[in-house]
Amino acid sequence: MELNIWNSVAIVLGFSLLVVALDEYVAKPWRHKRWERRAQSGDKEAQELLRVARSAKVVDE
Amino acid sequence: MAIDYAVPEDKRALYWLGDKLIEHRNPVMILVLLVTGLFAYWSFQLRLVTSFGDLLPQSHAFVKIHNKYSGTFGGANNIVVMMEVKEGTIFTKENLTKIFKMTDGMDTVYGVNHNQIESIGHRTVRHLRVAAGGTLRAEPVMLRAPQSQEEVEEIRRIVHNAENIYGLIVSLDDKAAILRANFIEGRLDYKRIFDEVNEKVIEPYEDENTALYVAGEPRLYGWVYRYAGDVFWILVVTYCIEWVLRWMYFHDWRGALRPTLTGVIAAFWGLGFVYLIGLALDPLMLVMPFLITARAVSHAIQMHDRYYEEFEKCGWNKRRAIVAAFAELFVPTFSGVVTDALGVLVIVLVPVIMLQKLAITASFWILAITVSEMLLNPIVYFYLKPPEPELVVLRERGGFRKGIERFTHVLMSPLGKRVTIATWIGAVVIALYFVRGLTIGDPTAASPLVWLDSPYNVSHTAIQERFGGVEPLIVVAEGFDKDAMKDPQSLRTMEKFQRHLERDPDVGYSFSLADIIRAVNGVFHELEPKWRVIPDSWTDIGGLFFIFFSGSPPTETAKYVDPSYTTAHVTFFLKNHQGDTIRRVIARCEKFIAENPMDKAAFKLAGGLIGVLAAANQELVRNDVLMNFLGFFTVWVILVFTYRSFSCGLYLLGPLICSNIIVNAYMAARNIGINIHTLPLVTVGVGFGIDYGLYIVSRVIEEIRIRGDLTDSVREALVTSGKAVTFTAVTMIVSTAFWISSNIRFNAEMGLLLAIWMAISYVGSQTLLPVSILLFKPKFIMNEATYSQDQARAAAQRA
Repeated sequence: MELNIWNSVAIVLGFSLLVVALDEYVAKPWRHKRWERRAQSGDKEAQELLRVARSAKVVDE
Repeated sequence: MAIDYAVPEDKRALYWLGDKLIEHRNPVMILVLLVTGLFAYWSFQLRLVTSFGDLLPQSHAFVKIHNKYSGTFGGANNIVVMMEVKEGTIFTKENLTKIFKMTDGMDTVYGVNHNQIESIGHRTVRHLRVAAGGTLRAEPVMLRAPQSQEEVEEIRRIVHNAENIYGLIVSLDDKAAILRANFIEGRLDYKRIFDEVNEKVIEPYEDENTALYVAGEPRLYGWVYRYAGDVFWILVVTYCIEWVLRWMYFHDWRGALRPTLTGVIAAFWGLGFVYLIGLALDPLMLVMPFLITARAVSHAIQMHDRYYEEFEKCGWNKRRAIVAAFAELFVPTFSGVVTDALGVLVIVLVPVIMLQKLAITASFWILAITVSEMLLNPIVYFYLKPPEPELVVLRERGGFRKGIERFTHVLMSPLGKRVTIATWIGAVVIALYFVRGLTIGDPTAASPLVWLDSPYNVSHTAIQERFGGVEPLIVVAEGFDKDAMKDPQSLRTMEKFQRHLERDPDVGYSFSLADIIRAVNGVFHELEPKWRVIPDSWTDIGGLFFIFFSGSPPTETAKYVDPSYTTAHVTFFLKNHQGDTIRRVIARCEKFIAENPMDKAAFKLAGGLIGVLAAANQELVRNDVLMNFLGFFTVWVILVFTYRSFSCGLYLLGPLICSNIIVNAYMAARNIGINIHTLPLVTVGVGFGIDYGLYIVSRVIEEIRIRGDLTDSVREALVTSGKAVTFTAVTMIVSTAFWISSNIRFNAEMGLLLAIWMAISYVGSQTLLPVSILLFKPKFIMNEATYSQDQARAAAQRA
């Protein structure tokens, strides 16, 4: 397949959107569940990290 | 919102600036986007163009001679087509018809100099014929395609008896013939010429028994343009891999997006500026935009990493984290950008227009990173949703961070320090041995722009093997007055010059006015060999010239001698354009000219491809050392201003100089010469290696102010900034290394070279630099160890 400027731009935009979607709807929930499982199985580090993260109050103004 | 919280006193202004950018985000954003839109529009107007004149050092004496006479005596842009038959000889009706039609086709290719085509099928290639009444006439070898076997035999007889054709245009075994065409430099459209030569000269005449080989600079650039489409594949693959890498590193799509925005905005500014100052993109310089964009992306990665770090430190306050990341990284980022920009700008010293334009555009492009990275950065972060605290906390405990921590522990152990110093000393000593083989100019006979097995290099080799030499070196014999070229002493010196230089193993053959006069004299005296000499008097010579040129229009005779017989030339055809060959042949020419002065004329060097390459190589030799020195000196001056210390340059430049030596050794070992194309990329590499060190040293200073202990500070710098530096090095290496898949060998080799350079510079910044700091405890860092106490004391005094 011969690429030019326009189909190259289309491919990279499509790929970027795919990564964003996969990150939001697949990777993040999966990563969250993994740490939860580790914490539930008694991993002290995972429990501590999740505690720190959950106690964080984000200031976004 | 004002800065009403504790910030480092000496960076208060930067915190204030970061905050003000967020406060006035809308007008700043609109202004930047408008300007970026304008630059983006200009970027899309860019075309791929190579201007041959821009590649030459126009102020060099050789190039001045080349420019003065290329229109008449032949330039550097020749296309050579060799027709070779597998069975039989070229002397058949079918084959001679092909040669005639191919020549005709070549005469209609865009930009061809119609009076400088050499082929037995062209009107300008003539032979002497004794006509009725004992007169002599110079007639074209072929006036039309042969109509009968008798005509074929007549052409064979003519060719075998013509000194200016047999062995030079037709091979001695009658199996091959050459068609050489010169192209007007102002009308070089490589892509069009490539397509038209294929359409009119190659495709209709190739068959099972006929092989056609095409070489010469316009053809070579034609292939380069044909392969330039590779850039889109490389762009797409590199982009996708970089996105995945950044996403894996940051655990967040924002970390992949933010550096892309920086890279794209800087690219629009850079490319738009290229168009604005009237430049075009050269397909051989496409690695450079990738490298600069990768540089922009790597600064953005540093900033994004710091933003996440500050987000946790600032109690999950987004605005404070943005401002802190901006203020804390301002110095290393800005110094890095300015160092890169000024480092590239030193190329402007080389008097080659293309390099000067490249230096200016690359500098502007790099400076544009300050807009996309520093001006816009706090604003973009402010508009984006902050990362989830869980993500920030968890990624800091990932495997990558742990790996960096383990490496730092080993490096900073007593054994680690000794091994580091010993390894670097060993590597530099070995590199110094190899670096002696570095060549100025091309180190091989084949073109380094395309691969060895490419159609171009296969053709080039085939023609060289059969005809000896296709690379012209034109030495002009410039008369002091009219008829200087009728002077026997001038002609004899030209002939002596030819015989002298032909002894060089890389000179295939030569041609001059002396060859014509000897041939005409021989024919005039019934082909008796004893008359094949240059006559003793200028009247005899004038008479013979009259006989030979009287039937030809001035446009045809001008390629041998000007109409007033003042100036002519000696053309040598060399077997290759290797840097060493050019240097040796030019030195031999200069020696001969000095020892053999002419009474009525003087030899002037030099035109043709070899002449202009000699000029370019001489300029590169003259400027290479100076540019390296200025490149390093510029970096040092900026470091002095950044850290207010003269010695800091030694610590940061040390690894850079070592990397430079190793990379030069690699170039020598891989037969990559310093030429007009490699020089800018090599110079860019000098400056780009410094950025890694800047981030490390700045972080060490920042940490020592808090911790007061050098070892702890270096460790913290390596596991925080060092981690980001490691990742940016990976992204830089990946973005340049993918060029290895390019069909353009030059781009592939330069991509690999720069990737290796980035890797060595990175290793230097992560090993040699911290170990040197630990060993020598530099003052400019140690003075900061008491910063906290000094601040506390000052605050107490104020209170």
